[in-house]
Amino acid sequence: MAIEFIWQLPSSGDARFGDARFTKRGERDNENHVYSSHVTDPRGTRFNYFDYLHQVARAADLTGFNGIQIQHDLAGDESWIIVGYVLRGTRHLKLLTEFEASRGSAVYAAKNAVSYQRFSGNRFAWQISSGDGEQVRKQQGDALAEIDTYQRIDEFIRVAKGVITQAPFSFKGDFFEVLEGGFKGPLAGNPVPTIYLSGESDQAIAISAEHADYHIINPLKADDIQPLIQRINAKNPELAISLRIDLLARETEEEAVADAERFLAQTASAAHIDTGNHLPLVYQRLATQHTHANLTLVGSYADIILQIKDYINAGVSSFIFAGIPHLEEAYRIGEHVLPQLRALSNSASNAA
Amino acid sequence: MSVDFFWRLPTHGEPSSHRNPAPFRGDWPPGADNSQRIGLSGGGEDGFSYIDYVAEIAKAAEISGFHGGLIPSFPMTDEPWAISSILARETKTFRFMIAFQPGFLNPVTAARMTASLQRATNGRALFNIITGGGGPSQLWWGDVAGHDDRYTRTTEFLDILRGVWKGEAFSYNGKFYQVENAALPYPLTKEEFPEIYFSGSSDAALVSASKHADYYLTWLEPFAQLREKFERVKHKTDALGRKIKCAVRVDIVARPTEEEAWREVKRGFENLSPEVIQRFNSRAGSGDSVGASRQGGFRPSSVNSYKDLIVEPNIWSGFNLLRGGQGNGIVGSYEQVAERLDDLVKLGADAFILASTPHLEEAYRVGEEVLPLVKGLR
Repeated sequence: MAIEFIWQLPSSGDARFGDARFTKRGERDNENHVYSSHVTDPRGTRFNYFDYLHQVARAADLTGFNGIQIQHDLAGDESWIIVGYVLRGTRHLKLLTEFEASRGSAVYAAKNAVSYQRFSGNRFAWQISSGDGEQVRKQQGDALAEIDTYQRIDEFIRVAKGVITQAPFSFKGDFFEVLEGGFKGPLAGNPVPTIYLSGESDQAIAISAEHADYHIINPLKADDIQPLIQRINAKNPELAISLRIDLLARETEEEAVADAERFLAQTASAAHIDTGNHLPLVYQRLATQHTHANLTLVGSYADIILQIKDYINAGVSSFIFAGIPHLEEAYRIGEHVLPQLRALSNSASNAA
Repeated sequence: MSVDFFWRLPTHGEPSSHRNPAPFRGDWPPGADNSQRIGLSGGGEDGFSYIDYVAEIAKAAEISGFHGGLIPSFPMTDEPWAISSILARETKTFRFMIAFQPGFLNPVTAARMTASLQRATNGRALFNIITGGGGPSQLWWGDVAGHDDRYTRTTEFLDILRGVWKGEAFSYNGKFYQVENAALPYPLTKEEFPEIYFSGSSDAALVSASKHADYYLTWLEPFAQLREKFERVKHKTDALGRKIKCAVRVDIVARPTEEEAWREVKRGFENLSPEVIQRFNSRAGSGDSVGASRQGGFRPSSVNSYKDLIVEPNIWSGFNLLRGGQGNGIVGSYEQVAERLDDLVKLGADAFILASTPHLEEAYRVGEEVLPLVKGLR
């Protein structure tokens, strides 16, 4: 099976493993003078963070990633606008766009999705997330109870798939209703976006098993991966497993650990080394505030490649990677890590 | 005063001229909305799609001096939010007028989308808020709210959009929406709130417009009727405390001479299939849109020649035979079209959304030949 590698697009800001402060490259205020008054600054306010996000997307495309994951982050720019913004500047990338089922009408979302499919050569993909709890939802104009989040995701997908693939299509659920719907003409016959879901509850896994192409796992410990994959595959052996994990890869382990420790010192983060007998090291919650991932592999290129190979052997066929800053680290991972993984996955598929 | 001219992006595809429905640009075959035909940029194997042609029009419009363009949304069209974000990077001054119905989006999500689109376009987003339409077709979109309820919802939606815009905690308890301590994050809060073009002719619409609209947008109606309408809108909204401007969406056929312009219309009319005429003659109103029924009211009962549809000098009411949308439009020489636009300015129009087929070539024609003749004086 072909293995896919997806790079994260940091929609709310970036940082550096050597400098943990939040940055929005390109973002400028009129009063924000970063240079000495004796040094001229040609930029004015012509750029903002979107220009940088476009560069990260291009970097992922140029360095051979299969896709980008456009983060749903309420502190940043909106993911459906970002995906449109990078759509025509990218050629090969799957455009995995994260959002919540609270965004509005499922029909309207599906209809916008069809436009993205038509105009990207069917590269659009959905990561539908359950959100950050009731208080945040109320801020977002969403009164849904926590217990209903997955049922709404389920209905959202039923409606979206329905109107994309059938006409007429009618539906009456607790959250969505459609009468004699369904897309016609050029909006008919387009593929449903590839669907990524997540969640570790039985309900979440059951909904994934029914609707999703990929189930994203974000386990707290590497050792937990195998049992989780077994639980998911028991529900649907066809459901592909996607692992969300950060990488801090350097030429040597010493360099990688030095960067991780400096980052910890700068952030006073609660992260710690996961006790394990093998390399690379696994840090918990190292750059979570920037990337939303729980785990970071910290080590040499060679050790990280071996660890990813172990994940592949455990049943993972999709990786959503991030590292900060996302532009430089896309090149680093694209140049030092992906080529050997490609060789591994190619030889595996040749042997099969 | 000053007058703004916008163009339109034909989201429902377009014929290569007013004369004939074929060849057709895009993958919408006219009159058959449930089949798909490969036309120019029609989803072939060359990697191009209809967005490549739409991008050409947007760039032609900005080069030709239009502020931007209306991006309509109908069940068979691509969506304006998608089109705007996709074309953000490859246009310079083109302003994206997004037609949408507020009920389709969560207002806090929509606020973040809007601010992000402003950032992506350097402040070039604006809205054409649609609330009417309705009837059974509203359930096609998955929307269960009734006609007057939908205007209440539009008002609440825009209340929340403005409320969260400045980034201070905002709470709201409406009939349709409840929000607790919502706010846009910095730096999204740096952006200007988008201009709002508001459509809707009912009393419920005007109450909502008077609270939130910058422009009241209407289709072209007979001039006397339009003058009365603009006066009513301005009177009503002035009384409610908000000065709003008026805008007209109008199709035009402009040629060097009036004779050439009418020849386009005549050829287009003659190329219509008998079924299209028959359907036109027998069409009953559907939905509960007041604007659509105001347009339909002065249609002749039966039509045999394009001349039957001339309702006053240079005004032809058969444009919806040639393509979807409104019936009334302006036909004439460059000078005449400019004069009729000036007539509309005099009776209250502050902005126009013009359209003509094909939108690419006609953007250049209208920008070069007609707009320089418009005086824009009231």
